[in-house]
Amino acid sequence: MSDNKFQFTGNTYSDVETARPSLTYWQDAWRRLKKNKLSMAGLIVIFLILLFGIVGPMFSPYSYSEQINKYKNLPPSLSLYKLGDIYLYSSNDYNLFLVEGNGRVIDKIELDRSRRDIPNKIYTYVLNGEDIKLNFSYKMLPAAQRLDYDFTLEYRGEIATQPDRTRPNILFPFGTDDLGRDLLTRVMYGARISLLVAFIATVVNLFIGVIYGSISGYEGGRVDDIMMRIVDIINSVPLTLYVILLMVWFRGGGLINIIIALSSVFWVNEARLVRGQVLSLKEQEFVLAARIIGVPKMKIILRHLIPNAIGPIIVSMAMMIPSAIFTESFLSFIGLGVSAPQSSWGTLANNALSGLTTYPYQLFFPAMAIALTLLAFNFIGDGLRDALDPRLRK
Amino acid sequence: MKKYLISRVFSMLVTIILITALTFAMMHSIPGGPFTREKAIPDEILRQLNAKYNLDDPLIIQYLDYMKRLIRFDLGPSFSKVGVSVNDIIVAGMPASARIGLLASIVIIVLGIPLGIISALKQNKPIDYLVMFMATLGITIPSFVVATLIIYFFAGKLGWLPSYGLATPLGYVGPVIALSGFSLSFVSRLTRSSMLEVMRQDYIRTARANGIRELSVIGWHAMKNALIPVVTYLGPMIAAILTGSFVVERIFAIPGIGRYFVDSVSNRDYTTIMGVTVFYAVFYMIMVLLVDIAYVLIDPRIKFGSEN
Amino acid sequence: MNDTILEVRDLKTSFFTHLGEVQAVRGLSFVLNKGDILGIVGESGSGKSVTALSVMKLIETPGKIKAGEILFKNENLTNYSHSQMSDIRGKEIAMIFQDPMTSLNPVISIKEQMIEVIRRHQKVTRKQALERAIQMLKLVGIPEPEKRIHAYPHQFSGGMRQRAMIATALSCNPRLLIADEPTTALDVTIQAQIIDIMKDITQKLDTSIILITHDLGVIAELCTKIIVMYGGMAMEKGNIDDIFYATAHPYTRGLLKSLPRMDRKAHDRLNPIKGSPPDLMKPPAGCPFAPRCEHVMQICKEEAPALYDLGNGHESACWLRDERAPAVENYNKGGR
Repeated sequence: MSDNKFQFTGNTYSDVETARPSLTYWQDAWRRLKKNKLSMAGLIVIFLILLFGIVGPMFSPYSYSEQINKYKNLPPSLSLYKLGDIYLYSSNDYNLFLVEGNGRVIDKIELDRSRRDIPNKIYTYVLNGEDIKLNFSYKMLPAAQRLDYDFTLEYRGEIATQPDRTRPNILFPFGTDDLGRDLLTRVMYGARISLLVAFIATVVNLFIGVIYGSISGYEGGRVDDIMMRIVDIINSVPLTLYVILLMVWFRGGGLINIIIALSSVFWVNEARLVRGQVLSLKEQEFVLAARIIGVPKMKIILRHLIPNAIGPIIVSMAMMIPSAIFTESFLSFIGLGVSAPQSSWGTLANNALSGLTTYPYQLFFPAMAIALTLLAFNFIGDGLRDALDPRLRK
Repeated sequence: MKKYLISRVFSMLVTIILITALTFAMMHSIPGGPFTREKAIPDEILRQLNAKYNLDDPLIIQYLDYMKRLIRFDLGPSFSKVGVSVNDIIVAGMPASARIGLLASIVIIVLGIPLGIISALKQNKPIDYLVMFMATLGITIPSFVVATLIIYFFAGKLGWLPSYGLATPLGYVGPVIALSGFSLSFVSRLTRSSMLEVMRQDYIRTARANGIRELSVIGWHAMKNALIPVVTYLGPMIAAILTGSFVVERIFAIPGIGRYFVDSVSNRDYTTIMGVTVFYAVFYMIMVLLVDIAYVLIDPRIKFGSEN
Repeated sequence: MNDTILEVRDLKTSFFTHLGEVQAVRGLSFVLNKGDILGIVGESGSGKSVTALSVMKLIETPGKIKAGEILFKNENLTNYSHSQMSDIRGKEIAMIFQDPMTSLNPVISIKEQMIEVIRRHQKVTRKQALERAIQMLKLVGIPEPEKRIHAYPHQFSGGMRQRAMIATALSCNPRLLIADEPTTALDVTIQAQIIDIMKDITQKLDTSIILITHDLGVIAELCTKIIVMYGGMAMEKGNIDDIFYATAHPYTRGLLKSLPRMDRKAHDRLNPIKGSPPDLMKPPAGCPFAPRCEHVMQICKEEAPALYDLGNGHESACWLRDERAPAVENYNKGGR
């Protein structure tokens, strides 16, 4: 160690404070939201579902209400029986279809009703003048017969007992419903209805709730007492009950009616939240300052209070959308939803209920769509809550 | 305490009057009335029917009549079921609804709170991720989907559970799972976040600094604080169970109030809709009052009389 | 005669955050004898609170005691298990915290909180525990303790809560009381009372104290020994006279100069220490105070100084004490 290290060098102090890039509130929130993988996945899923609902139906060869009678209850995946050079699909309700080997349905094969042998459960179908025999008499005693099949198909002397292959249904990727409507188209269309209802109801609720809550919170005193009393009274009954009553009152599930019903009660939670925010914000100096220089009340609320409460409002909005989707599907499910032939995911699920054991796929797709959307919105909501929470800001 | 209860009961009565008035006005403003069928009923009979149910009186008289009967807990006759009163319907549906509702509540509290605590104590460990994953699914998958999936797999494919009714104890499994799913998930998420918040508090460190055993730190010092927000959720939970029962009872074909309510909705049986609504509203308000009292008992900082 | 209560040797405590290791305490050693009131002083982030929590072994994840020994009554606490430590806490070593508003459980009555602690460490009945609790509350000057003990924390004022916390902490006659900024959150008048109570009771109960504070006034009032901490290290150690009147370290001097004093003239300005504390994620290689020191030398930035013994337990970690250092008024006196 040399002595010249013992020389005063002095300090400049400029390097002490480490400079950090300054971010605006939104840049910072976005930066943190981007780090949340689940939220980003949720955003992507919602984007895809929107695309699916908005653009999807344009590319579909079917309309949501088009009924193709001969293609009822076709599942999304077909078990094909090979007989000679043709492939056959026998549906659960014993309709027989001629299918290409890749899973493209060519046509329904007509049943010869005059030759139905009901006691023996043998049905004869005619394809280009030749007979196809569907024999499911075996099914009557499957245990005694110790067979691993339910029925046999016979064509040109050839008998098939086991499917040769399973192929996805090319014409109807999600299958068809009991009226022969393409489920993919209906699920895509359902996305439109469900999301439309949810978005509009949320925006309306948000609007009413924010205005109501901020006035109540800002005015305080008697006005606040009365306004919150009203909220308490509305809230003293499960909100879904009001919606049900309204829907009964409307006597019919027009799209507009559902939106009105959903928009008319759920704002109370939003109002409470905003009121709480405004109550704490209005005590702060910047509001006092605005008041002193004579800024009008409405302007204080719109310019100063609401923007400062925007974080919790956005989070509650992200949570309100899924609950609106949920309530809409719930209403549709108990028969108060949009009226046929329009369909939301809830009505699709409701329609599928009666045939659940035979055609479970009819429930699967709308239910998956609902669950996926709710999941995605929940993840976005969770992420937004973390991203917009000022306590977690770094 | 007394004063608080009196004022609460009073405001409950006001609310009941408002709700009955509202439902009454709504149900009676629907054109057509309950006897409008596809087949036209002869005018004479219609008039007699209207007279029998006092439907020819002015609306306000009808409402007062209704309120008079309501004071005697008489919800009036059902319009679509001849000779059956709304009271009969509620009494008939009550046992089944109460049993699955009660079981679901027990499952929610007995499973939801411990799961949330375990999750909080094992934050960011596999068990936490598992519980929170399940809870997220439980919150996002609607009860009607859960119910139908249970029927399809456990009743249909596997045959473990009956697909309808409450004839056997196993019959309760499906409805209770479907009914409790959402709130169970919500309670465990709420307990977890509340517990995490509480465990960061200074008084937990004080308890540890005083040598309090970890079991008591978590099970007593932390729990008592962490449960406060959970208790406030119990009110909405009752609402979720009530409305959830509409769907669950329908899918599992359980003869409960919820099922009758949905039936009356599709039959446009207005008196039953009204009666059940009023019944639900009163029941819900009583339950929320009980929850509020429990809340005050747990949290000494809240005094009776001060709202929220 | 061995009257050493606590000896801390080369304590190193770090917090392993996702951004990196924060070295909160970087090799601290001290000895506490029976009857000592040791003041640890420093600004926020100097590692004084972490030192206290390390002695209690209350460092929570992601924090960890990385190295060092904590010898309490010649037992090394760093080897103690969780349950062994919880037997010691409250009974042998007690601790009180800065914010009385948040440090008592809001939903459990003072009575229950005190009785639980007393019965945790002593084999007494509930009734005896209650008597003991009331006695302790009386000792810390809570009026009508028989009545007030049933209260919940929110019914107490800040000063009362701090008294209740002290009463609870001392209810099992601990050998050592660690007080982490016990008066910071209180009104000035209440501060003085709390200090008097601590002084008074610890004398009665024969308890040693470690007092963590940034308030040199409190230190002057109460302490027999002082450690000045900065950047996770001890800068200067000594008794009151050493620190206040024979200040040997530029940092201590800076602290003293930044205090308002009665004997200053009205137009004198306070002299804050320029710059801000070091980033403990990337602690400086040399003396942590070097970037802010007015007497900084090249060596200060490269190598951390050892503690130079100035005699009589007065020590200073400063290169100015080195014989090769240039002479500076006030600093080199007594250096060797």
